[in-house]
Amino acid sequence: MSETKPKKTTGRVNSFKIIQAIISVLFLAFLSWRLYNVISSGVYGPDTWVRFAISGLIIGSVYAVIAIGYTLVYGILFMINFAHGELMMIGAFSGYFVFEALKSIPVAATGMSFLDSYQIISVVLAFIVGMFMAALSGYFLEKIAYRPLRGAPRLIPLISAIGASIFLQNAAQVTFGPQRRTYTNPDALLRSQGWRIPIGGEEVILTYTGVLTFVLSILLLIGLYTLVMRTRYGRSMRAVAENKQTAALMGINVDRIISNTFIISGALGGAAGVMWGIHNGIIYHFVGFIPGIKAFTAAVLGGIGNIPGAMVGGLLLGIVESLGPAALGIDFQLKDVIAFSILVLILIFRPSGIVGEVLTEEKV
Amino acid sequence: MSKRYYLFSILIAVSLILAACGGAAKAPDVCAENPDETVCAVIEEGSTIKIGYAGPMAGDYSAFGIDISNAGLLAVDDAGEFNGFTFELLIEDTQGSGEGGASVANLYVSDPDVVAIAGHTFSGSTAAAIPIYNAARLPMLSPSATKADLTDGPQDVFNRIPFTDDLQGQFAAEYLYNVLGVTKLAVMHDGDAYGKGVAERVQEVYMSLGGEVVAVEAVTPGETDYSAVLTDIGASDPEAIYFGGYYPECAVIAQGMPVAGMEDVLLFSDDGSYGEAFIELAGPHAEGVYAATGAPLDSAAKAEFDAYFESIYGDPPGAISTFTWHGYDIVDALIQTIKSVAILGDDGSLYIPREALVEAVNGLSGYEGLTGVLTCNGGECNASGPSFQVVQDGAWVIP
Amino acid sequence: MKDLIKQGLRLGSIFGVVIIFLILFGLTSTLSDILGEFVNLESRTRTGNPGGLMILFALLSLWAGSSASASDRSNWKSALVSGVSVSLIIGLFVAAFILLVGFLDSADVEMRDYLAQLDHLSVQFLLYGRSLIAGVLITFGIFLIFGILGALLAYWYEAKQAGEVIQKQVLVLKEKALDSKLAKQYKENPRSKWIGYGLLGLVVFITPQFLGKYWNYAMGTVGIYVLMGLGLNIVVGLAGLLDLGYVAFFAIGAYTAGLLTAPAPLPLQIGFWPVLIFSIVMAAFAGILLGIPVLRMRGDYLAIVTLGFGEIIRVLIRSDMLAPYVGGPQGIRDIAGPSLFGIAFSGKAYLYLIIIAILLIILFTNYLQNSKVGRAWMAMREDETVAQAMGINTLYYKLMAFATGAAFAGLGGALFAARNQYTGPADHTLMVSINVLSLLIVGGMGSIPGVIVGAFVLKGLPEILRELDLYRLLVFGGLLVFMMIIRPEGIWPAPRRRMELHEGELDVLPPEESLVGKEG
Repeated sequence: MSETKPKKTTGRVNSFKIIQAIISVLFLAFLSWRLYNVISSGVYGPDTWVRFAISGLIIGSVYAVIAIGYTLVYGILFMINFAHGELMMIGAFSGYFVFEALKSIPVAATGMSFLDSYQIISVVLAFIVGMFMAALSGYFLEKIAYRPLRGAPRLIPLISAIGASIFLQNAAQVTFGPQRRTYTNPDALLRSQGWRIPIGGEEVILTYTGVLTFVLSILLLIGLYTLVMRTRYGRSMRAVAENKQTAALMGINVDRIISNTFIISGALGGAAGVMWGIHNGIIYHFVGFIPGIKAFTAAVLGGIGNIPGAMVGGLLLGIVESLGPAALGIDFQLKDVIAFSILVLILIFRPSGIVGEVLTEEKV
Repeated sequence: MSKRYYLFSILIAVSLILAACGGAAKAPDVCAENPDETVCAVIEEGSTIKIGYAGPMAGDYSAFGIDISNAGLLAVDDAGEFNGFTFELLIEDTQGSGEGGASVANLYVSDPDVVAIAGHTFSGSTAAAIPIYNAARLPMLSPSATKADLTDGPQDVFNRIPFTDDLQGQFAAEYLYNVLGVTKLAVMHDGDAYGKGVAERVQEVYMSLGGEVVAVEAVTPGETDYSAVLTDIGASDPEAIYFGGYYPECAVIAQGMPVAGMEDVLLFSDDGSYGEAFIELAGPHAEGVYAATGAPLDSAAKAEFDAYFESIYGDPPGAISTFTWHGYDIVDALIQTIKSVAILGDDGSLYIPREALVEAVNGLSGYEGLTGVLTCNGGECNASGPSFQVVQDGAWVIP
Repeated sequence: MKDLIKQGLRLGSIFGVVIIFLILFGLTSTLSDILGEFVNLESRTRTGNPGGLMILFALLSLWAGSSASASDRSNWKSALVSGVSVSLIIGLFVAAFILLVGFLDSADVEMRDYLAQLDHLSVQFLLYGRSLIAGVLITFGIFLIFGILGALLAYWYEAKQAGEVIQKQVLVLKEKALDSKLAKQYKENPRSKWIGYGLLGLVVFITPQFLGKYWNYAMGTVGIYVLMGLGLNIVVGLAGLLDLGYVAFFAIGAYTAGLLTAPAPLPLQIGFWPVLIFSIVMAAFAGILLGIPVLRMRGDYLAIVTLGFGEIIRVLIRSDMLAPYVGGPQGIRDIAGPSLFGIAFSGKAYLYLIIIAILLIILFTNYLQNSKVGRAWMAMREDETVAQAMGINTLYYKLMAFATGAAFAGLGGALFAARNQYTGPADHTLMVSINVLSLLIVGGMGSIPGVIVGAFVLKGLPEILRELDLYRLLVFGGLLVFMMIIRPEGIWPAPRRRMELHEGELDVLPPEESLVGKEG
């Protein structure tokens, strides 16, 4: 779809612009007024604000990792991989099964299960298996549901992706059963255990699982950024994103790059799934759907197709969701309303996201 | 390929239409004047007497539908033959929504062999279905639709065996204030009709008792991270949280409370949260959580049923939802009632006058089921309120 | 020969894995029940029909065998080789899987805790109620025998060239039919087109008389989705704006109708007909309101913002904040149905009302499509910059498309609420938007008959698939993917769009050039 260039606007369009600006300014004024009210009323102590921020950063970092999956695929194929959330679900289930299996293996030397005897190995194993299974699913997803549609108008792979998403959710439901399951973490990663930091006379718990999630997310993001921006392989990925025909002429195997993109984005989704399981504890067949939608929002917020954008978008969305309702004194039930309003507001002022689109500059 | 699907669909459509147009045969006295199948169901020789169950069979809350219908199937097995006829439990998916409920209701009323409805399961789907069954004169006996005002209105076919949300809310509020001595309560719910209904009732009664409600928040069902909203609740320093909703969300709340600075705060929930599944999900965080339960008191019949159910399905009753026993009772009660009303005709067909069956179900009295003695009065068949249990050492016990 | 074996092994492993997944999904028991019923086999277990399972396995291996031999059917030896290799592999895969499962089961491992379909009974069913070794051997035998049989049958069929003969006959018949006088007349005479429409109309008006209550209801739902499909067709198909939050307007229509006619939560109880008009106006107004900030955004940004708008509306109608005004999660009950001259519309009559609404909307859409507005939309979709240069005020026309589409959804919503006499947040989820978009694409974008066919498939198919209980959404999702692969232009596409899609097969267009292809 071709872009409306702002410079070519007619008189009537300008009136739209003015209305937009007025609405936005009013909205911003309203936001700051609410914020002022809440802060001056002193409902929340400093410890509460820190708790909100921690919660937002952790969930935001998971959003960021999932968002990168969307962004990578979008950057190369210009399609919204609606089934990406389901890859995360597959990763979460795989990690769960690894933990369950390891828990049932007794180790004679320690008298405990494998899971508790070799905790680091167990966690690493869960991540490896989770990422592998999700990557494998991503690979087959592309091969079965998307590759035959290459070159078709963009809505068609979108519908195919929606179909795949429905299929995977229900396949997981009938295979694993509809009930929810709890991750059995190794002892060192017990949920709700963590460092206790005294703030304003209260103890704020910084959970081990939360720290693991956050640090691992950032590492994954940095790793991926390096891969795409600094390596030879990344260069060929970017070349395919820019122009498939030219890239093919340059001797790049376009099909393989696309396949690998799905593998990488699937692995990221799988990692996010395992982190989700370890940190939040509860998984079921539908667990990927809501984070999937949120991460998609985050990817757009940051500028779709842009890796640092997805990161910024994810973290921002996480913080808005957790801090937003409190800061504005609104019911937490309406956190999605706030998140999406912020999205609209940002897109009005920065039509291609916060960071903008880098991978796809030429295309839009 | 696609052609075959068309053919398939046309075949099904045609057969359904034919089924809907099936005629009536010679009937004994009661049904003789009215050969119309809308007045008197005629089960021909070789057919089964159908009871329709409707609940969420796929999707988020399918655990309820699967559990209740599994129990219902056992009741059908136990019923055996009746004058050479067998019973059949039809199971349809409502997706738990109003639209799905209406759709299934229309499906059942267009099948002349369906004589009674075991359901529906959720209040929303039940509300949408009641007018349809009322017009078709199909008696309903619900295992789990608890919204208070369902039994009102211009209808007389709806009956249920669980206690209502209002009753449960009132009992819970009184228990919290009088027995547990909680003075500062935070109320949470999942934003769905059931959870919100109970939570609002608790809030209302609790405040009228003189307690203080310090915060009211709703969570989004299906999510698995409520740390932010719990932090917000924690900032208002409640002594206890009442949560209206189902066990998955309750487990997420139980897990999130310590991190939100509420290690010593009591969590109290409704019968949607009661069950083994909650303990399994919440793990060590389940300790000390209260919940209401409609699970029947221990009896010989219940112990026998529990063992039988577990041998068939692998899980004990109550593990997936608290309505397993209710599922058996409604189907069994309906079967007994149908047996009392049905007349064997000279032509070998079974005649079931619909109006008489509606009256018989409405007037059910002294039925001894797993959930207690059921006597229907104005649609409510079980007047007893909930009891409350607490998790101790990984099991629900009476405090 | 080596290639043949290699290909047989590859195909065999695909079939093997798929069959193992079927078992894990538990679809084998459902399918075996259906098959068993079909051939009147007595069922002996609760979980499925063992005889049916044998038939299912036999059919699958016939299929595998015949498709394995497809590459070389020149002589019976090569057919045999591919048949043996493929059936051996499938047999090994499935038999090994069943052996493993059966072994674990006999060792009292509770697989059911992790794999819901594998309880003791279904394992017994997979073994046909026999001992472990016997069951596994039977399975292996079935795959081996029928796989080879399939390959040989295919060879024999090819050798006789029976296929070609039949195909030729069909072609001849088709040509004859096309050449017949009637067809010629039909093609040449423009009046006959109207006769065709008349006949179609007659069928549409007679059918509800013969449908039972349930199908009347199901058809009513299909009809409401047709209305929404026609609306979204204008937004996406004609104006090229991807809208993922279309349910918002549906909800606004339904809630406007509900709030104004129901006794609670607002005691207004205005009659149905004026409220119907008002619902449409409200939805259109909401369309404009949403359009002003978002229409300057590009395709995918528009998609996510509209998706967000749909979610916002849903969250708001179930929120505590607005519960006193819109009913919260409990929704609105006792919404007034329409009545005319004292007669209330219900059942069949309501279906007619929906059909009339559809006809009116189709006429209106046709009129719009061929008017200045329709041409402006199409120009905009083809190339927005050029359209602007030609003096088309794109924002104005975009807003108009948005408002028109929203108005149709509002109409659909009002009819929906009044029919069920109830509406609540559960009726307005993201799935509604997704369904409407899917029906548009499955049916064929930009084409009115396509929308109708699409609605039948999308909303009718799940009703038909009720047979499959638990698996209906699973199968539905799979069919959606399958459909996109075999027929991306939709079942009944607009003629120009079909042309272009097939052109596209020869000369691959970069997909990013247009949201919905050049035409549709």
